[in-house]
Amino acid sequence: MAGTDLLGNFAILATEPDARFWLGPIPVSDAVITMWVIMAVMILASLLLTRRLERIPASRGQALAEVVVEGLLGLVSQQMDGQRARRYVPLLGTVFLFILISNFSGMLPGAGMLPGFLPPTSVWGVTLGLAVVIAVSVQIFGIQTKGLAHFRHLFQPLFLAPIMFILGIVEELVRPFSLSVRLFANVYAGETLLSRLLESIPYGLPLLIMGLELILGAIQALIFTLLSTLYIASATAED
Amino acid sequence: MEAIGALGLFGALAVIAIAAAAIGSATSQSRAAVAAFDALWRQPEAGGTIQTSLILTLAFMEALTLFVFLLIFMLSGTIAGAS
Repeated sequence: MAGTDLLGNFAILATEPDARFWLGPIPVSDAVITMWVIMAVMILASLLLTRRLERIPASRGQALAEVVVEGLLGLVSQQMDGQRARRYVPLLGTVFLFILISNFSGMLPGAGMLPGFLPPTSVWGVTLGLAVVIAVSVQIFGIQTKGLAHFRHLFQPLFLAPIMFILGIVEELVRPFSLSVRLFANVYAGETLLSRLLESIPYGLPLLIMGLELILGAIQALIFTLLSTLYIASATAED
Repeated sequence: MEAIGALGLFGALAVIAIAAAAIGSATSQSRAAVAAFDALWRQPEAGGTIQTSLILTLAFMEALTLFVFLLIFMLSGTIAGAS
């Protein structure tokens, strides 16, 4: 049992061993290929849907795009006021849409089986990357809004400053970890369960599990985005 | 069948760990859900906020269970299956 090599196990979890091809020194694996496909789909969709914008939507494409954008704005506006929401909704909305599409892509036929097709969020490296982006962005937005006073929460009760400082740093470091593991574990557990089920009971039950996975995938995308919104809102709150 | 003998003590403890995590998660999630339903009948117009808060809270507890699941896999050295 290779149980004690934690760093090696982390490497197994955070990356994929098989590279389909190499771009110079950089391995390109299945999840990366699927990520590029999802990016292409999102970019193409947003380009096509916004070709001829009119004040009152004349095409169904623009109406659909407006529904999506207003939904995302509403989600973010629950935590912060309208002006701040408009500043940060591009990042948060993109994160939400990417995680949603990626989770749903696990239900498409061939996910994990076809060469080059692996839902990106079922790899810890991808979700950790997303969470690190969010964590770094929180610090950057906080400094943008409040300058160096953003770090004041680390020294709040002055006589306990060293302890609070360490606790604050630890909490900031744990955030991307828990954010990423929550999403990764949900998606990975679902994918593994599905693949094992399809080997043993291929009829009926996998359909129910797929339905459950659709719901859970949407919920996990929502949770990731909501928590990121909360972090950004608390970091940029003008008090 | 021989896989069970190979897993041995680690396998037994892993099963106990996941079962304990499931019990803890189910208990606390049910308490959160009961509180949310109470809030819902008392004030139906706050339904949207209550629903969002409930989902958020449930996800926190679910994540803890999944941490245990993930830790089992990390310690067993494989993630994609048998060995």
